[in-house]
Parts: sequence; C-alpha cells; structure tokens
Amino acid sequence: MFSPSLTRMFDGLAAMRLAAEGHADSAHAVVSHDASHAAAAHAEEHAVHELPNWITLITKFMQDSPAKEFLHQWEGMIWALAIATLIIVIARLAARNPQMVPGRLQNIVEMVVEGLSNFIVGVLGPEGRRYVPFLGTLFIYILSMNLAGVFPLGKSPTASPNTTVALALCVFVYVHFIGLTRNGPVGYMKHLAGNPRSPVEWAFVPLMLPIHVIGEIARPVSLSLRLFGNVTGEDVLLFAFCSLGVTTLAFVDSPVGIPFQVPFILLAFMTSFIQALVFTLLSTIYILLWLPHDEHAEEHH
Amino acid sequence: MDTSSALSLALPIGLGLAAIGSGIGFQGAIGKAMEAIGRQPEASGKIQTAMIIGAGLIEALTIYAFVTVFLLMGKIQ
Repeated sequence: MFSPSLTRMFDGLAAMRLAAEGHADSAHAVVSHDASHAAAAHAEEHAVHELPNWITLITKFMQDSPAKEFLHQWEGMIWALAIATLIIVIARLAARNPQMVPGRLQNIVEMVVEGLSNFIVGVLGPEGRRYVPFLGTLFIYILSMNLAGVFPLGKSPTASPNTTVALALCVFVYVHFIGLTRNGPVGYMKHLAGNPRSPVEWAFVPLMLPIHVIGEIARPVSLSLRLFGNVTGEDVLLFAFCSLGVTTLAFVDSPVGIPFQVPFILLAFMTSFIQALVFTLLSTIYILLWLPHDEHAEEHH
Repeated sequence: MDTSSALSLALPIGLGLAAIGSGIGFQGAIGKAMEAIGRQPEASGKIQTAMIIGAGLIEALTIYAFVTVFLLMGKIQ
C-alpha cells in the first residue's frame, strides 16, 4: 500500500528468480497473480488520489497489454527521466555557444547557476565551490520535479517514495564518500566516534558511536520522507479541491468545475520551492559537518 | 471497536496533534528569526538560511505523522 510499484517490483523480482530456477509455470502463476493483484493494487492506490497526468490519460485509452502495465508501473520513472532530459537539453543549449554578452537563455541559466553557487559557497566557505555541481543539480532537479505536479496533466515524480529514497541515498553515499576521502579512514572513524580527545571522551566512545551511526542513518530517512510527504500532501490537496469544485457543480451537469484549487496552486508553488531548498540546504549542511574543520567538528549532530 | 474504525478515528487526531506541535515549534523559530531580522536587517540572509533549515526540521515531524497516516490508510476498509 505504501508503494504499490515497489511491492510490484518485488513481485516481479520473485517471478524472475522463479523463472531463472526453471519453475516457468509457477513464475507464470506469480505473474498472472501479479496482474490480477495489479487491479487490486490499482484500486488501493487510488486511496491516495492524484490528478490525472499524460500517462494515465494515455493508459486509459489503451487495451490491456504489457505496455499498459509497464507505463502504469513506471509512471514516476518516466516523468523523472523526461524532466532530467529537459534540464539536460536546456543546459546544453545554454552552454553550447557561450557569448561574452549573453543571450536571453544563457543569461537566465547563468543567473540561476550564479545564485546557487553564491548560496552554497556562503554556507560551505570558499572550498565549497567544488560541491556546487552536485548540490546545484540536486536543487534544480528537485524543483523541476516538484513543479511538474503543479502544472495541468503533470505528475511530481517526487510524490513517490521511490524517487525521494533514491535521491536521499545519492546524498548519503556522496556525503560519506566526501567524509572518507577528506578525513581519511582514521579521521572518518574518529568523526563517527565524536572526535574524542580527553580520556573521559574516550570512555564515552561505546555510547557515542552507535548514536552517531543511528544519526547518520536517520538523515537519508528524514530527507526522503520529508520530500515525499510534502509533495504528496500538496498533490492530494490539489486533487481534493479539484474534486470538490467538480462535485459542487455536479447537480447542473456542468462539464467544468469551480476552480477551488487556484489558491492552493500558489501554495504548491511555494512548498515546491521551499522543499527543494530544504533538501539542498540539508545536504549542504551534511557535507559541511563531514568536512575536516575543527570549528565545525563539535557542532550539532 | 474494530481496527478500521479505530484507525479512522485515531489517524486524523494524531495528525492534528502533530500539526499542533509543529505549529508551536514554528511560533518559536520564525518569531525569533523575525525579531532577529528586525534587530539586524543586514544579517537577514544568514538568519533566513538558518530559519529555513530549522523550519524544515520542525516540519518533518508533522510529515512523519502524515506518512504514518498514508501507511495505515490502507487498513481502513
């Protein structure tokens, strides 16, 4: 229920394993069970309502086929890839032929990049410039994904836990890679043990180490759940007010409803921006906490 | 009381309580940040950055409750 596509993916994996083991029949049984299950999961999925998007519109007019099942299952993924492609194309177009006096597109992109760069360097200090590409991409990508759900016939890939967990895992791996390479393995372990100096601090290492490890694991969990919860809440809110607008005019058989959702679209623009900012900013802070700075070493965890 | 009626009673109440807690947290965080900006408008950039981090952390608590509601919503028949 939490993530029908995830559970379906696991069912699919089980089917694949069975097929690999030569139990073709039972694999088939799992797959067909999966298909009948998909209808139930579909109904269940509609407990979490979302506005229709291009892909649901296309699948509505399709015959039952593997392609339809595929489109339905990988909806969020397709949107995420499409948005990534769009961003790549825009960035390529802007950087293709850089001018000293920038054109319109180059000007806009430069403004965004410079703003992000200044923002991140402001938090991390001058040596933070090397982390700008990752963090800036994170911000632009998440913002675009959040905003995709606000526009008509769009879907936020971030309204699915699969996307947000993937993003948070990327941040987790990157942050720990930075921690390992910048501090060295010994410094890394020392950091995890809370940088003990005095004998009393060394005595507390068995207590501090698990606390820090749990804290590190809690970070991607909270990052992903925050983004997922906010964007899902935003989409469900828009759906609720759209359907309210339609049902209030249902008694006159009006083809269109009252646009009750308009004020909430403005709210959704704001949450989209703030959540992208919070995700990026927290990732920046996590990197900052792992950088070998004495003044940051003892700070909040 | 069976599971589904217990859940349909408890989930909105739990979410509401979590929202009250976050509201109290926001009152402290944003109120103090606004005071600080009023006292030192030239430091508003740094204060806003710190405030947004804090707001994100506070808000996450309600979001946890919200995610729990989503998790358990399937159990309501």
